[in-house]
Amino acid sequence: MPIAYFLVLSSLLFCIGVYGVLARQNAVLILLSIELMLNAVNINLLAFSAHLAEAGVPGQIFALFVIAVAAAEVGVGLAIVILIFRNRQNVDVDEMSLMKW
Amino acid sequence: MELTGLVQQSVDWHAIAPELVLAVSAFIVLVADLFLPKEGKWIAMPLAAAGIVATLAAVVSLAGDDRGTFEVAGSATFVVNDFALLFKGLFCVIGLFVLAISFHHFRSGRYYQGEYYFLMLTSLLGGLAMASARDLISIFIAIELISIPAIVMSAMRKGDARSNEAGLKFFLFSVLSSALMLYGMSLIYGLTGSTVLTDIASSIGSIEASSEPVVVLAVFFLLVGFAFKISAVPFHFWAPDTYEGAPSPVAAFLSTASKVGGFVGLLILMFEAFPSVADTWRPLFAILAVATMTVGNLVALRQTQIIRLLAYSGIAQSGYVLVCFALIESGPGAAEANRQALTSAIVYLAIYAVMDAGAFAAAVSFARKGGSYFISDYSGLWRRSPVLATLMAGFLVSLAGTPPMAGAWAKLFVFLATVQAEVYWLAVVMGVNAVIAAWYYLAVVKAMFFDQPDSTEAVEVPYLLRAAMGLAAAALVAVFVYPPLITDLADKAPL
Amino acid sequence: MRDYYAQYVTIGIFAIVAAVLVVGTLQLSRLLRPSHPTAEKLTTYESGIDPIGAGWAQTSVRYYVYALLFVIFDVEAVFLFPWATVFESLGTQAFVEMVIFVGILALALLYAIKKRLLEWL
Repeated sequence: MPIAYFLVLSSLLFCIGVYGVLARQNAVLILLSIELMLNAVNINLLAFSAHLAEAGVPGQIFALFVIAVAAAEVGVGLAIVILIFRNRQNVDVDEMSLMKW
Repeated sequence: MELTGLVQQSVDWHAIAPELVLAVSAFIVLVADLFLPKEGKWIAMPLAAAGIVATLAAVVSLAGDDRGTFEVAGSATFVVNDFALLFKGLFCVIGLFVLAISFHHFRSGRYYQGEYYFLMLTSLLGGLAMASARDLISIFIAIELISIPAIVMSAMRKGDARSNEAGLKFFLFSVLSSALMLYGMSLIYGLTGSTVLTDIASSIGSIEASSEPVVVLAVFFLLVGFAFKISAVPFHFWAPDTYEGAPSPVAAFLSTASKVGGFVGLLILMFEAFPSVADTWRPLFAILAVATMTVGNLVALRQTQIIRLLAYSGIAQSGYVLVCFALIESGPGAAEANRQALTSAIVYLAIYAVMDAGAFAAAVSFARKGGSYFISDYSGLWRRSPVLATLMAGFLVSLAGTPPMAGAWAKLFVFLATVQAEVYWLAVVMGVNAVIAAWYYLAVVKAMFFDQPDSTEAVEVPYLLRAAMGLAAAALVAVFVYPPLITDLADKAPL
Repeated sequence: MRDYYAQYVTIGIFAIVAAVLVVGTLQLSRLLRPSHPTAEKLTTYESGIDPIGAGWAQTSVRYYVYALLFVIFDVEAVFLFPWATVFESLGTQAFVEMVIFVGILALALLYAIKKRLLEWL
């Protein structure tokens, strides 16, 4: 299977993620969109890794680390979202404007 | 590639000793905090300080060495050389300084002290690892290790809506930037088939012309990712808000350790992996540098709050460092020019970290008792606390880049490197910006010394903070008088 | 390439058979069974208790901590599985490294226990 298929899939996923980050107001949905972007990265890495065959081990290792770090980020992010929900009963990022220049 | 060979190599334990010591001391702080009684939680701070001092000792024990370990396909991915050691030492010094700023703030503020010191050490560990990282995976891990604990630190005041907001903004920008950076990294990996920087450098120069747009795209993604971390315009929006909402010592940490960490990663990537395709991405850095300097300085002019002023001034200072990246040359004979750009960036970062941390320390000590974060309240500080006024003035003068402080040399070196590389328009922009910057820094200095105070209440400064600020100011003056103190170190520290 | 897509034909046939089987049996039982609906019979079945409130109920925020702790050990597995497949050929060094890794995560668990996160209030 040509590698281009995977790259197109991953770039589509990445673009959907970017759109979600820019267009969504709910912090949790932004978080999900960022996860989409990270998964696009993983598809890229694994496609290249498969393409490189023998020399592709670093790509797989990289993908494992991306998964692990993404989990850590989600943990911290959800903790902050819950903190904010407790203090102000919503997680709308457009209303986060206590501080402005 | 044989996986067993990857895993079964012998590890140079001495080379990773600083990281090991720091990691172990972070865990000691965390566990000790669990078993300390409520009134004794402050002991976590001396423990953390001891850990950093031990790390510093490990760094010093490696001085002059040139080692590498964790090899992938014959190239070391973890390197210990003068460059790495210089920055490891700098991170340790910043760490100790931020501990000194934090101690009274966190002890009297009923924060989670043990957790805070644990997170700070973890974030520092990321910085130390970054200085040695020489492949994409370790650079990624290091930058996340710097950021994630820093996010938690900035949302530390759980009940305070501003602190929450600071944490969320920092979190969203940080995660978004790492996603962009990772996409760039995955493209680089696909293009070159390697994650090790030396291999990338050797194969990216001989890439076919048809793939060149992909190289530009990949470097662009990487650059955008790092631009968020170092708060370069137009990716700086999180920084002032986060600094303001987070506890002030955390702002000091973000503005020094975290930012220097991002810059170290960028230096390693750009000077090690991509100089051969410099022609394609140099304009990006030039634009970024100009925008960062100018916007940072102009917005700083109208700030009324000292932390936000320092945040925007920090953004502008990032711009001066970015100038060094816009000087990277490709092709034969570029090594000498690139070295000069690298050296001036190293000198700038080292001096910037000390003076910026000092200015934050002064702001924190003023706000502690009998003061506030508003710049208007700084009027007549000289009559309320001559020591604090002098120290604060010293740091601001240094940030402005005027003698008799080291900041003058920092700006001058970057300026000279720019002139030497014959990029005169950048040098002119730098000069104009230095003048704008001097305006707002010196306005605060003038208010402190010549205006009438609103209240005559003396400002108390704890001895720990006095000692820390005094040392930082003394170091800045010493480097001004005898610049080889830092330039000699930077000169013999190629990547 | 054509061979590759030909493999999907099998999957296509399988999917059609599966769909026909499900829909067919459901329709068959519908024809055979008697139908006498009453108000009680049409309410949502919730273990014999009358359902109260809307379907979107809030879950206690307390579960969140468990979810987080789960994520930690879930991701630990990401590293454990590849390690386990090659564990025997790697020898003691790999074992010690994994013990250190799991030990650090155990420290996080110790922290959670000590902060009394695992006690149900």
